[in-house]
Amino acid sequence: MGDIVLRARGVTKSYGQDETRVTALRGASFDIRRGEFVLVVGASGSGKTTLLNMIGLLSSPTSGRVIIEGVDTTRLGSSGMAAFRNRRLGFVAQFANLLVDLTILENVMLPRQIAGGSWARGGRPRRDALELLRSVGLEAQAAQRANKVSGGQAQRAAIARGLINRPSIVLADEPTGNLDSVSSESVVRLMKDTAKRLNQTFVVVTHDKEYFGEVDRVITVSDGRVYEEEEDGQRAPGPGGRQGGAAAAATATVAPTTARQRGVLP
Amino acid sequence: MGYRPRLAKRMLFNRRGSLIGAVLAVTIGILVIHVNFVIFQGLYDAIVRDIGDYRTGDIIITDEDSFITRSDLAVTSWFERNPSVEAVTPRLSASAEINITKGGQLIEETRVPIVGVDPYRDIRASTVHTTVSEGSYVFARNSVVLGTNVARDLGGAAVGDSVKIMIVDRWGEEQVRRLVVSGITSSPGGQGFDYTVVMHIDTLRDMMAREGETGSFMVKMADKGQSAAVRDLFLRSFPGDDFVAETIEEASEEQLQGFRSGIAMINMIGYFGMMSSAFAIVTIQMMIVNGKTREIGILRALGARRRDVLVIFIMQGMLIGAIGAGVGTTAGLSYTFYAKETKMSFNNSLPLEVSYNWTKILQTALTSFALAVVASLYPSYRATKLVPVEAMRAV
Ligand SMILES: Nc1ncnc2c1ncn2[C@@H]1O[C@H](COP(=O)(O)OP(=O)(O)OP(=O)(O)O)[C@@H](O)[C@H]1O
Ligand SMILES: [Mg+2]
Repeated sequence: MGDIVLRARGVTKSYGQDETRVTALRGASFDIRRGEFVLVVGASGSGKTTLLNMIGLLSSPTSGRVIIEGVDTTRLGSSGMAAFRNRRLGFVAQFANLLVDLTILENVMLPRQIAGGSWARGGRPRRDALELLRSVGLEAQAAQRANKVSGGQAQRAAIARGLINRPSIVLADEPTGNLDSVSSESVVRLMKDTAKRLNQTFVVVTHDKEYFGEVDRVITVSDGRVYEEEEDGQRAPGPGGRQGGAAAAATATVAPTTARQRGVLP
Repeated sequence: MGYRPRLAKRMLFNRRGSLIGAVLAVTIGILVIHVNFVIFQGLYDAIVRDIGDYRTGDIIITDEDSFITRSDLAVTSWFERNPSVEAVTPRLSASAEINITKGGQLIEETRVPIVGVDPYRDIRASTVHTTVSEGSYVFARNSVVLGTNVARDLGGAAVGDSVKIMIVDRWGEEQVRRLVVSGITSSPGGQGFDYTVVMHIDTLRDMMAREGETGSFMVKMADKGQSAAVRDLFLRSFPGDDFVAETIEEASEEQLQGFRSGIAMINMIGYFGMMSSAFAIVTIQMMIVNGKTREIGILRALGARRRDVLVIFIMQGMLIGAIGAGVGTTAGLSYTFYAKETKMSFNNSLPLEVSYNWTKILQTALTSFALAVVASLYPSYRATKLVPVEAMRAV
């Protein structure tokens, strides 16, 4: 495993005010290394999407810091965060990932356009996008409008789009959540192959852990708290990567057994 | 083309209903202004045209004391020497009592306006002679042309009938002449001589005991742009006389003032119509923005800034404005062309004097374009309030 791409330190996110205040994420601290394939699991409402929104700079934490590629992103302004998302991050949502007014190819090229690239025929963005579409098996659909392809094809296109600016991390929130099992398996295979081939870091929220088989790391979110889970099902609180072992942590507040009793684990 | 104009265009064009609705709103706004202009400005100009053609010419010369005593030859030859003048003709007016014996019955009309004309000059300076629908214009000292309403009031007086006309002369004496109807004049619009009797100016002078005097001179310009200059030159050339010289605009000011404020009000209503088309654009764009919550979130997640989102929807407003202005102006010009070619008139009345006012046409197009852009500001602003987390929302 490579250097550390992302450090989360005490990331907390609350919604609402006073009585209606909900703390969706409580002091999440962990590191992600380059090339890691990380699964995020946990019960519905536990805070997985919130976690992804924080490390994806889609929303600012109430407190804590997110450091990506050594940059403390909490200090960036709105435009700085936008530029950072554009260059450093890729996103795949559960569904409706694409802009329906554009073609598949245009969708894949979009992050390059936002970065100031051209649509030109024979231009670099187009060549890269076509190359990516080939690698996700969507060459034939390149010119189709985004609302004319199947759910699985749309997710593949979204993955291709997530890769076009060679981001530090691709974040996916239940990318197979809306797919049948055949499509799910092929989307998972695509992500895992890509991760290996390009040494691409992935953080994937899922309810379907079994599709993924062997992964580098599993993070469990339970009631807004983040835990490391070893392959044997044992959990260790963060921070620190898996190689740090179970003991490294200072922020654990919930005993693994308690979480287990709540039925958080699959 | 960057991604912003491309998205602006596609988001609009892929929603046929929104596109048509928004463009139609602008188009109708413009069309209303064009139609108003054709009709009301057309009517106004038609009235001005008729006043000029029938009654005042481009310049009208009168005298402070009702009658011009200087010989008409002196005045007409002064004008005829000026190359920017086309023609000039003397006129004299009075009021008369007329009677006719029809089928053994005497029919009488009092206080009928009389206009005396110089037949040879009048047909060059005025177009009144073209309104003679039966018979011919005044051609001799004993012929008269009756306005169609006068003829009707006289029990259907016709060409060839003889009428008795009585005028009180300057000394208070009643002067009576028996004259022959040579023609009947009728013209739509109310500026013609439908309520008037036209006779030879010398006959009228004689009856009024005003030998050699004239009521007014109507001057028709070859070059209308010189009207004011010629008027001034005329007044300077006859400093001793008490001439009053007015251009048609000055002479008909009172008559047209009310009409002009009417036009201004109708124009205002037109612009209100345009504004309501702006509201239509706001509604349609808000529908687009609301329908694109997720996609705008995706754009933001992928790195588009608030400013980029703003630009996308303002560009869309510009697109709506440009297409609407194009279609609306084309439709308006088609209507104008149609009105002009068919000499459009209402209920067979005054044919409109249709013109192309390019300044106004351009101004209308630009205004509606600007209005569309302004209308798009609010939806664009609302779009910038959508947050990137929308991209990941699961429901
Ligand atoms: N915008 C918000 N305003 C208020 N509360 C929110 C908001 N977003 C999330 N929450 C709350 O925060 C908690 C965590 O939500 P989150 O969406 O992160 O859960 P999740 O683990 O992704 O769930 P799921 O598996 O159903 O997607 C929930 O209690 C949710 O109701
Ligand atoms: Mg979620």
